[in-house]
Amino acid sequence: MNHQELNNRLSEIKNKLISIEQKSDKRIFLLCEAENSYAVNKFLFEDVKARFCIVTGIDSDDCFELLYHYSYDQTGCVITIKAFIRDRKNPAIESITPFLPAAEWIEREIHDILGIDFRNHPNMRRLILSDDWPDGVYPLRKDVSPNEAKELKK
Amino acid sequence: MAAILERDPGDKKMSEVLQSLFWILIFPGFLFTAVFGLVACWIVRKVSALVQWRVGPPLYQPFVDVMKLMGKEILIPEDAQRTVFLMAPIVGLAGVLLLSTMLWRITIAPATPFVGDIIVAIYLMVIPSLALILGSSASASPHAAVGTSREMKLVMGYELPLVLALVVVIIKTAGLIEPGQQLSLAAISQHTPIFSISGFLAFLVSLLCVQAKLGFVPFDIAESDTEVASGVIIEYSGALLAIWKIMQAMMLVALPLFLVMVFLGGFHFAGCPLARGIGKYVLVLVLLILIKNTNPRVRIDQAMKFFWVYCGLTLAIACLLAAMGNFYHIGWL
Amino acid sequence: MNWKIWSLKKSPWVFHVNAGACNNCDIEIVNLLTPKFDVERFGIKLVGSPRHADALLVTGVGTWQAAKRLKEVYRQTPKPCVVFAIGACACGTGIFNNGYHVVGPVDKIIKEVDPNAIIAYVPGCPPKPEAMISGVVKALSAL
Repeated sequence: MNHQELNNRLSEIKNKLISIEQKSDKRIFLLCEAENSYAVNKFLFEDVKARFCIVTGIDSDDCFELLYHYSYDQTGCVITIKAFIRDRKNPAIESITPFLPAAEWIEREIHDILGIDFRNHPNMRRLILSDDWPDGVYPLRKDVSPNEAKELKK
Repeated sequence: MAAILERDPGDKKMSEVLQSLFWILIFPGFLFTAVFGLVACWIVRKVSALVQWRVGPPLYQPFVDVMKLMGKEILIPEDAQRTVFLMAPIVGLAGVLLLSTMLWRITIAPATPFVGDIIVAIYLMVIPSLALILGSSASASPHAAVGTSREMKLVMGYELPLVLALVVVIIKTAGLIEPGQQLSLAAISQHTPIFSISGFLAFLVSLLCVQAKLGFVPFDIAESDTEVASGVIIEYSGALLAIWKIMQAMMLVALPLFLVMVFLGGFHFAGCPLARGIGKYVLVLVLLILIKNTNPRVRIDQAMKFFWVYCGLTLAIACLLAAMGNFYHIGWL
Repeated sequence: MNWKIWSLKKSPWVFHVNAGACNNCDIEIVNLLTPKFDVERFGIKLVGSPRHADALLVTGVGTWQAAKRLKEVYRQTPKPCVVFAIGACACGTGIFNNGYHVVGPVDKIIKEVDPNAIIAYVPGCPPKPEAMISGVVKALSAL
């Protein structure tokens, strides 16, 4: 598919998105709410057949954002799904691991570091924080200081 | 001196004991073989360095290594079997010590009364490997357990071809030696079985078996796995490790010497033949070093298949050729 | 001079420990131990067990997970021994200063086990193999 056909394909799922931003020929952002991210991810992976790359977690001041990056290798276009998680107290989102096993570890890492709960994740265990790290301290959240864990350990 | 010795049987026993102790501990036993062995270790490292186009360690390096190990503290793991852990290196050293003393005695003075023959040599050569297995299994470490199982499989692999190769030599030399002396190393070392097809095949196989026994690449599966995973002597430190290193150095003297005596016509301690003898020893040593430097390490299943299938078949053919050569009096078969 | 220290200087066997490094210094250490730099002429040999080692080459800022293991490895190294802190992170936490996962630079962790430890520093990000050789030689001649 070339760029035009790709754009047409992506507009099929327009009703689940907040908007589509096309920053350039090769860079497309699909913005959506957290509830719809599962369906959009499934569409991109199974119907458009884009290649999953990685997930990025961002702590914006009023919400959490999860960016799912896909690469459409036939045109070299990078498509990113931007899912907004509005609930800061108990952030949760549907895990995409059931149909995309490659996402298992990155979701574990985001859970460790930002504290986002992934529902239906088959194997939610600690990944990169040390074994004796206190529970409930998520280091890369903006309201957590770097020394908070050290204070809690003492 | 003879008059003094005749005077009192108690005195005679005492001086015999002292003489035996001198043979075992100083020359040609522990001190001589250990020094010779550490020099041989240096030769191995220097030749390996030259093959890799670099300057190697200085001559005193293996001696300083042993000295440094003597000065470090000995750490024993909590769960280790203390008695076996401490005794294993000493038992291994004792085995090599007896083997080298015996081989040197036979070389220096072939006419001495029975010190040991080829069967005793085979028996003593197994003791260091067994000591390594016992010591590592007493270490209570999972890495050492892996090394132990691999060393056991390796020993099972190469012992049989080694003994078969010696059987080929015995068959080859049987017709040339008077009956009753056929197992004696002194008598076998008068002949050179390598200049015959079956002897040459047996020499090749036993060279590779010695390579495995010394723990050199490509068969250093048990110990040098240290570079890859871990080894049999992982938990040893300090003076115990020094004893293992000295044991390995002495094996580096005893085993090529054994090969020289059995295949290449021995080592004679008089004038020009002495230089020839040293030349033969250095030849075997350099062959071991070159094989060591040009081969990768093999897996344990590859090693066992190699020893049992390829070496076994080669030796079966060699045995047949040797027997035929003996029967029909053809020297070169 | 003490024969133990003299023989330690002439034959230092090294063991490499990664206490939470980015692997850059580890690659340089492995480069150092190749035949090109020929450290065997100083008697330096890579060993696979801390119990055989005289010098620990520690890379990386000490992370929470690695600090416990580093202390255990130090205890298992028979004394006398030297610790080399390789790289800017090991010398003084480098760019990871004040990170949430950092316990402290390597010397702080080792001194919790043994306040009299001998520690040598080779800074750089990563230090070149020539710099590491120079550091090792200087440290050994100062013993």
